[in-house]
Amino acid sequence: MGLRDLRAFWTSKAGNRPEECEDAYAFDPWACRLGSMGVDTARIAVSDGASESAFARSWSQVLSKAFIDRPLDLSGIGQDALESWLAPGQQAWNATVPWDRIPWHGEAKARAGALATLLGLTISPAGPDGLSWQAVAIGDCCLFIVRDGELLRSFPLEDAAQFNNTPVLICSNPANNRGLGDHVRQERGECVSGDFILLASDALACWMLEDHAGGGKPWDTLLALDSHQAWEEWVQTQRQERIMKNDDTTLVIVEVE
Amino acid sequence: MPYTADISRANPACLLFLLDQSGSMTEALAGQPGQTKQGQSEQAISGILNAVALRCSQGMEVRDYFHIGIIGYDNEGLQTIFPGTSIGNPFLPVSQVAETARVEQRQVREPDGAGGLATVTRNVPMWDFYFWSKNPHPGNGPTIDLLYDRLGGTPTCKTLDAAFDVLQRWIPQYPASYPPMVIHVTDGESSDGNPERDAARVRELATNDGNVLLFNVHLSDVAAMPIQYPDSENSLPDRFARSLFRMSSVLPDSIRGLAATLDLPVRENSRGFVFNADMTALVQFLDIGTRGPSNLH
Repeated sequence: MGLRDLRAFWTSKAGNRPEECEDAYAFDPWACRLGSMGVDTARIAVSDGASESAFARSWSQVLSKAFIDRPLDLSGIGQDALESWLAPGQQAWNATVPWDRIPWHGEAKARAGALATLLGLTISPAGPDGLSWQAVAIGDCCLFIVRDGELLRSFPLEDAAQFNNTPVLICSNPANNRGLGDHVRQERGECVSGDFILLASDALACWMLEDHAGGGKPWDTLLALDSHQAWEEWVQTQRQERIMKNDDTTLVIVEVE
Repeated sequence: MPYTADISRANPACLLFLLDQSGSMTEALAGQPGQTKQGQSEQAISGILNAVALRCSQGMEVRDYFHIGIIGYDNEGLQTIFPGTSIGNPFLPVSQVAETARVEQRQVREPDGAGGLATVTRNVPMWDFYFWSKNPHPGNGPTIDLLYDRLGGTPTCKTLDAAFDVLQRWIPQYPASYPPMVIHVTDGESSDGNPERDAARVRELATNDGNVLLFNVHLSDVAAMPIQYPDSENSLPDRFARSLFRMSSVLPDSIRGLAATLDLPVRENSRGFVFNADMTALVQFLDIGTRGPSNLH
């Protein structure tokens, strides 16, 4: 048993250029070979850079890639373990900032550090016919497990009312991550053949929970998107009708074989 | 729900300052020795410009989520303050406002990260509104010369009418935008009539997201305690304050909700009016995206 497909869609906040998108996602290049060729884990991450911090795009990219490149040991993860895991990424971010050329308006923000959320998913084989998943979340990117057309689980948020403008965020400046360990959320479960796992950044996740609360099946719409153009058009319509917030938006879809 | 529009480059927010530059503004401010109303008004606007530019800064660039204009008025007439602007279009995108700042290096004390304080050099932006208005940039359009009696007149009604015209042109270009915010900084004494009706006209303009918000910053030489966002005119110290209170918009629910989380003294009918006090915090209430985190205060 493994993964049948893994696909991602993203788009910038309307009015911003694609290269200004502060959402990032990453996954193992061999994720779809899970269970064969010696591939025993598939990792997927989504990170949402906070638009009011500076250099947030490179920070969300660093964080999501770090989750793929360097396993985060989730057993008993606390402040110290989290800080050690973050340190190489913080150095990498630091190296991307052109410190000697920052204009006055960016200086204090750059010193304070960039901010981003992180949602990381690890999938592994569990016995001959199953997969187990383990997720870690800091902030409001969400994961949805869909089985037989119904929502089995959403994580870490379960209600659209839980979204606001001040989610928990990871900072690229180590001095500003005090107490972060208390906000790490974890969850695990099993997948069976035919399940879908969807990872979404906040604006989309909020819409999904709202739509579901109103009796809808938002995943039906998302799973039917067959091209990036279809995705872009759909997002644009939701924004225009003010059904979905105008924000950088990312969706990763995992199909379990 | 009104006052919830997303703020983006496609749907920018509009900030229009109306700056009283009349003779009486050079008088001392109550309770602050050595500080004139003029100096205080410059600081009030600079503080807001700085806050907006910082909020829109991504590090290397400022995203144009705001259009900002300043109309100064005194006994000689009305004029726009920013380089290259005119009464026809007083606005600059916030990125250009950031570029007009004169950056001064100042020594400031900051926490050193080890429990103490360290003296460090920081760049601080300053804007030269008064200098600019007395030495207009060549690119600025003609001023509106009101041919006043040059006895320290304060044409508040005419200025509000000009704001009405400016916003009436801006709104059709951005009909889905967050409603424009007009911030009027004055010592309150109008010399061309009662401005309350002109203020009401400005507040009646609207985008699809709600009516224009008119806020007043009253800088006074009356010795009284600073007042922020009152909900009634009863406690206000003089008739100018009461008139400016009546001219000010009631804070919308969405602003009040955020203000309360920042421990600002707002109540159900609080208005966008401050008396010898600061209004910079208002800028923090506009939603331009994910903010500083709830876990890091």
